[in-house]
Amino acid sequence: MSSDAYFRCEDVHAWYGESYIVQGVSFAVQEKEIVALLGRNGAGKTSLLRTIARAHQPALKGGRIWLDGQPLHDMAAHEAARAGVGLVPEDRRIIPGLTVEENLIVAQVAPPVGWPLERLYEHFPKLAERRRQEATTLSGGEQQMLAVARALARELKLFLLDEPYEGLAPQIVREIEGILMQVKAIGITTIIVEQNAIAALELADRAVIVDMGEIAYDGPAEEVMQNAELRQEYLAI
Amino acid sequence: MGRSPFAADLIAVGLFAAVVLTMPVWIVWIGGYEALATKIVIWAVFALGFDILLGFTGYLSFGHAAFFGTAAYTTGLCLKHLSADILPAFFITGGVSLVVAFVIGLLTLRRSGIYFSILTLAFAEMLHAAALSILQAYTGGDNGLTMHTKPELLGIRMEGLNVFYLAAIVAILGFFAARQIKRSPFGLMLRAIKENAMRLEYTGVNVWAYKMAAYMISAMYASLAGFLMVVLEPYVATKFLHWSTSGEVVIMSVIGGVNTLIGPMIGAAFMLYFENVIQAFIGEQWRLVLGLVFVLIVIFLPGGFVDGFNRIRRAVGLGGRERHHNVPDAPAPVRENRGDRAARQPGE
Repeated sequence: MSSDAYFRCEDVHAWYGESYIVQGVSFAVQEKEIVALLGRNGAGKTSLLRTIARAHQPALKGGRIWLDGQPLHDMAAHEAARAGVGLVPEDRRIIPGLTVEENLIVAQVAPPVGWPLERLYEHFPKLAERRRQEATTLSGGEQQMLAVARALARELKLFLLDEPYEGLAPQIVREIEGILMQVKAIGITTIIVEQNAIAALELADRAVIVDMGEIAYDGPAEEVMQNAELRQEYLAI
Repeated sequence: MGRSPFAADLIAVGLFAAVVLTMPVWIVWIGGYEALATKIVIWAVFALGFDILLGFTGYLSFGHAAFFGTAAYTTGLCLKHLSADILPAFFITGGVSLVVAFVIGLLTLRRSGIYFSILTLAFAEMLHAAALSILQAYTGGDNGLTMHTKPELLGIRMEGLNVFYLAAIVAILGFFAARQIKRSPFGLMLRAIKENAMRLEYTGVNVWAYKMAAYMISAMYASLAGFLMVVLEPYVATKFLHWSTSGEVVIMSVIGGVNTLIGPMIGAAFMLYFENVIQAFIGEQWRLVLGLVFVLIVIFLPGGFVDGFNRIRRAVGLGGRERHHNVPDAPAPVRENRGDRAARQPGE
């Protein structure tokens, strides 16, 4: 593992109460690289992502996490966000009870601010159409779009995407894929957790496979696509 | 063309002011009296401030008596030992209340939900116990604190309608300020905290600081009410710090309509009217009847009186938006084109 990597986890251990979920994970991500974090259900992918974002749960009990020289392991969730971490959590990804525009406005209250509203609306015209609408009335795909826009509304150094395609119809998945390809073109360093491994691997430069809370594979995304044995063993695909 | 939000605020506050300022007249028509009008307005200020915390952020404090009572005792001690003029008492009470609110907020707002409620209750009970024990020399213990001179404001004796109009001005300004807070960017952040605080943290917001600000604003309203209560009656009862005082403001908010600003104030008026006027007709059973009213409202009108009023408006075709009242069992309003996932992530 490169010690001067843009982002790196060093022997990270995290717990949900008494449950030992992330068991000594180490991996690195280079600047502008997209890494797919894969593994079976319950492997600890989402927990690892939440640990990186410094969510209250799971609790980080060991190890270090660095982003562009900043120690995320010493930070609270809001401090990590100010340091440039943008997490799009799974399931409903927006703040209910607020309109589309209010969702974007509250994302820009704390520095550093990313894209201005006009640019976001230009990029996501559907959101512009529905700016005054309560965000929970959007379709699943549109909510995901809003979640991505909320992340881009901030100046991102590390984009964490948790199950962006989960529960969406194939047509919507293709739409979100298109958006994420645009994010890739912008060159934002990204870690994507996705059950739909093939979709994630198509997007990613590199794959990291988590198994039982530990790293089982770290290599080119293409290799996972071609290695049926590896896919079968860790991803059951 | 629609009205600007500020114009809507002015109309709402104007209507509110008209109702409040004429209260000493119309309350007599319905069997009340002048001092009851003053009490109602003072409790309305308390309930209004409570709604800034509960309604805006969703944090349910069971210990707001701590601020009401501390302010009452501070005001009482100032009036008794310092000056009969209420101005020094006002500023000293404000300072003391800010410190108390900051300390209790610091120790309670690290938790949310039931843990926050229990912590606030514990602090209020500690203050109540202190007033009855180690601070007895100052508070008068069980006997309460009695002032022997009538309070004054710049030479004007504070009694009768003078106190009422002072309280009414505080309530009107407080209502206007609360509406401004609700519409402000700060109010938007409080709404976002209520909906999902963790998601706000993921965008770099120090949620705790916002919660603290809302808590302190709410505590200041409670303190103002405690201050006014002593100006009305120069006596401080230990009940002002008792948990039942905290409970009363919760009940007022719920029966009036949480997060409506006007609702908790209507709830305060209803409770005090019931306690002071209806009681005369139904005797000692009034608490039982009030309890029944509370139960019926929670079951059939989870949004309180304001919800009832809006339902009537909708029924007669005057419009009005259906509100979701954040009550676990209450059916959510049907939304068109609803997103395909509605479950909130616990702890997220």
